[in-house]
Amino acid sequence: MISLRYWPFVLKQVWRHRVRTLLTVAGVATAMYLFVAIQAMQRGVAEATEASAADTTLVVYREDRFCPFTSRLPEYYLPQIERIDGVTSAVPVRVVVNNCRASLDVVTFRGVPDERFADTIGRDANITSGTLEGWQRRSDAALLGETLAARRGLKVGDQFDAAGITAYVAGIITSDQPQDQNVAYVHLDYLQQQTDKKLGTVTQFNVKVDDPAKLEQVAAEIDALFDAAEQPTTTRSEKAFVAQVAGDMIELIGFTRYLGWGCLIAVLALVGNAIVLSVQDRIKEHAILQTLGYSGALIGRLIVTEAVVLGVLGGLVGAAGALATIRLTRVSFSVDGLSIPIDADLHLLATGLLIAVTLGVLAGLVPAIQAARRPIATCFRAV
Amino acid sequence: MALIECRQLTKTYRKGESTIKPLDRLDLDVEQGSFLALMGPSGSGKTTLLNLIAGIDHPTSGSLTIDGQNIAKLSRSKLAAWRSDNVGYVFQLYNLVPVLTAYENVELPMLLHPISRKERHERVATALSLVGLADRHDHYPRQLSGGQEQRVAIARAIVTDPAILVADEPTGDLDKPSALAVMDLLTRLNQELGKTLIMVTHDAQTAEYANRTLHLDKGRLADDSVQAAFSGETATTQGAAS
Repeated sequence: MISLRYWPFVLKQVWRHRVRTLLTVAGVATAMYLFVAIQAMQRGVAEATEASAADTTLVVYREDRFCPFTSRLPEYYLPQIERIDGVTSAVPVRVVVNNCRASLDVVTFRGVPDERFADTIGRDANITSGTLEGWQRRSDAALLGETLAARRGLKVGDQFDAAGITAYVAGIITSDQPQDQNVAYVHLDYLQQQTDKKLGTVTQFNVKVDDPAKLEQVAAEIDALFDAAEQPTTTRSEKAFVAQVAGDMIELIGFTRYLGWGCLIAVLALVGNAIVLSVQDRIKEHAILQTLGYSGALIGRLIVTEAVVLGVLGGLVGAAGALATIRLTRVSFSVDGLSIPIDADLHLLATGLLIAVTLGVLAGLVPAIQAARRPIATCFRAV
Repeated sequence: MALIECRQLTKTYRKGESTIKPLDRLDLDVEQGSFLALMGPSGSGKTTLLNLIAGIDHPTSGSLTIDGQNIAKLSRSKLAAWRSDNVGYVFQLYNLVPVLTAYENVELPMLLHPISRKERHERVATALSLVGLADRHDHYPRQLSGGQEQRVAIARAIVTDPAILVADEPTGDLDKPSALAVMDLLTRLNQELGKTLIMVTHDAQTAEYANRTLHLDKGRLADDSVQAAFSGETATTQGAAS
């Protein structure tokens, strides 16, 4: 890098070539905005689908069904599931979504029995507004995931409609689980009555296992238990379940990683182009600097620093813009009631900036080497 | 011992198929504190000689010793450091950096020297005062006249207090009053501050400011005139080299 005393010179070059700087920064910012947004989507997929050693949740679904509208299981499976060795709890869940297709604004109603709510939500989930008692008191009460509440501007005491169901907001929950973000937990019987006009049918069972190592074994036992039943089951870990049911969406999001790489190439090309043109425009200026005693290596470093400044400015604007948009809109992809959150944090911002610095160095390197190697007399003859 | 000693100094360029030899085995001594004018037709090697003495070009062969150091043997980076300490260059077309103010242009060579910001400021202010432009320090080159730009360029050349000043047709782009002001300034720098001044010029009147005039032709010394300063008396040594 360069000594601190040269920084004002570099910054003046950036500030006083405003049109070039503005156009380059705007281009880099746009590309970095897209890149960070794509990274946020990729991360959402990873969080929702990548298994971890601590996973202990299984989802029991109707065999060969992939949509909550078609998966129907009798609620009386519950005691049989609970008797299987290794199962610590099982919760029958009725799932109703306002939109079964891929969408950015999906409300997923999950009907759960009152007494089993604690077993349903993630371990790190908390009710941050309202109370569990408030939810238990009203038959139409709902506890909303914070993303859903924020997106729809709902607070405790409000009423809302979705999928033909009217619910009263009894509380807001925060959770580190992606599937708790866009959900409205309601009473199971209330949801059954609202949708089927009868009790006894659920979409799935969420089963907790005492040891992550037993997941596959318990899943196999559950499926074997109902193999000959009228409604056979398919049991998978929750994340494998998401990965399969939302497979098309995940594949599509996976494809966007190539767009992300494209964005980085665009940043490289933009900064590179700006610096190459700038260096060509300033052949004489660099010759003057060399005449004054600036070495070729120092001039090269000044050029690379300028490229880094342009890259970082654009990267900061773009990455911060993406972060702000994602945080403010709190969007998430949902398919068949399952959520794939789009999440960005300061770590992603820092990653974007680091990439911008790297690309700035790369973009400035070739023109810097060319400028550093050009003999002074040749520069003066060239202009 | 002379401050500048050129021995068999030769410079050749390749241009397409042919080889051009702007300087051909030149021998020359320049004393410290002298004011030397280089004259001659286009292509005679004046600017090439000036560039070699200023350390911005390397000779093809021969030696170029300045203050006891053969700068022909210095690497590019060492030559850059040497230029920074020893030479101030004044161009015909001023060559100020357009996005920097007069102050910032003069400050540029000082950035190479690890001194405090305060001292840097003082030296830049002194240089601008010396050329009579202290009140124009925040003006950009586009806001200055040609004569003022050239005086800023001279301030930039002297701000590091180099022993040698080289000037490539410093009045070539100026009107007469500005040219006179610039030449008066350069003469003061030579006479009052003892700077060794080497100037390329096509103009005989401008050359009269110098106390010695060299005429080059086809890369060789054609005429060497030593003048008593401003007296009009001239001693000529045809083909001599000292």
